[in-house]
Amino acid sequence: MENPFAQEPRASSSWLWQVITGVGLVLLLGLHFIANHFIAKGGLRDFADVVAYLRSPIILVLEVLFLVVVATHAMLGMRALLLDFGLSERAERRLSQALTAVGVLTVGYGLWLTWVIIH
Amino acid sequence: MTLLDVTLQIFRYKPGEQPHYDTFTVQVEDTAHVIDAIDKVWAEHDHTLTFRRACHHSSCGSCALRINGVEKLPCIARFSEVWDGHSPLRLDPLRNFPIVSDLVVDVSGFFQRMSASTMTITRDAESTLPLSVDDLAAVVQPKAVELPDNLTRFNRFENCIECGICMSACPTMAVDNKFMGPAGLAAIYRACQKTDDPNEKAHLLALANGEHGVWRCHSAFECTEACPQAVDPAGKIMALRREITANRFKKTRRS
Amino acid sequence: MANLEYPKVRRAGRWFDVRRRKLGMWAYALNRITGIGLVVYLYLHLAVLSLLLRGPRSWDSFVSLARAPYFLALDVILLAGILIHGLNGLRVTLTGFDVGVKAQKALFGALMLVAVVALGVAALMIFGG
Repeated sequence: MENPFAQEPRASSSWLWQVITGVGLVLLLGLHFIANHFIAKGGLRDFADVVAYLRSPIILVLEVLFLVVVATHAMLGMRALLLDFGLSERAERRLSQALTAVGVLTVGYGLWLTWVIIH
Repeated sequence: MTLLDVTLQIFRYKPGEQPHYDTFTVQVEDTAHVIDAIDKVWAEHDHTLTFRRACHHSSCGSCALRINGVEKLPCIARFSEVWDGHSPLRLDPLRNFPIVSDLVVDVSGFFQRMSASTMTITRDAESTLPLSVDDLAAVVQPKAVELPDNLTRFNRFENCIECGICMSACPTMAVDNKFMGPAGLAAIYRACQKTDDPNEKAHLLALANGEHGVWRCHSAFECTEACPQAVDPAGKIMALRREITANRFKKTRRS
Repeated sequence: MANLEYPKVRRAGRWFDVRRRKLGMWAYALNRITGIGLVVYLYLHLAVLSLLLRGPRSWDSFVSLARAPYFLALDVILLAGILIHGLNGLRVTLTGFDVGVKAQKALFGALMLVAVVALGVAALMIFGG
């Protein structure tokens, strides 16, 4: 039997994506905050204001981008935590698939919600 | 020269029994180190106490354990440094290794990791010994070390004494059985430094580049804090990350 | 050869033991705890935003709820979590690329100071109206 630590493993990019999305969030979250709580009068928008806000194309792009990046960062973070449970290689892959699905569903829900609100 | 009456609270475990602490009081000189007291406990009180010790000067790495929960080498830990003068001194085995008996842990998994970067020099006899209880147990095949023609032996120069303290301090080693660990990754870095062969270097970096390699480190820096020999494993892990990432960009630029 | 091994679930919780640990370990534990809190918040936020589906009355009554002092206090706690996680995350990013490794403790201190100041300013703005 071979030494398992001497076998070259598959390269991993998850940490790299975690920091990229993390840095992205510093920017996007900042913009999201400014747009929602500093520009809006009184810091919060009522229903009519929300609809008008989301109808602006720049805002739409910002919020969608923000949603995608935050969902990715959250899923990668959860994955890092769940990997601590000593899973087999197959279970690790299943976990990644499951979290990808959750992420996609999260973004999907956000997009659908936005769509309904605008219309 | 003053004599001290020290009370040691030592972790005890024998297979089939419940782990517990036994308390012993021994008399040592005030300049003594903790290992001297452990020796005395064995000699004067309990011959069933199991522990490792050898060089008594932090060069072999055998005696590593936890003193009041903090990883140390007892052979260089003076009572004046680690003892408050009255409370019992608690001794526990290293974390994150299976416990064999009392203060002795199974380090075969540790040497498997060190062997991956060929940082261990294993004699022929040792290479045939079976490794043990870890679920990744294997028999290690050491790479033959090739010496230049005019040399019959050589000295390795690096700080690591393979004591396992960093592995005990690491929070990722606590949860992940497949993690290469600070010692293993620092060894990979050191092996990278020692080789001119680009293929060997690429192989070593690949070993560190997996899901359970450098990327599992959570930047706790406990390993560097605990290391008695200034290896700075955390710093080596970060340096490896930088090199791996830089190589990745070089590759994508070239293609 | 017998040995003491920990079952998977208990082992998975062992990162949480910060007793007699140093600064970097505390930073890691803080980041993980705030991270979990923020994931919970993400889904809470999406659930709250779903009130928009029920039309102006539901949403506007929520907005007036959101102006209550206890709610604003929760917002400040949320902001604390965001600042800690984000700023420590920057430290993890920098050190992870071998930048500022020797100064990682000082970096943590400096960034947490920024967090405290920012939180203070934000709390004033939130409660100041």
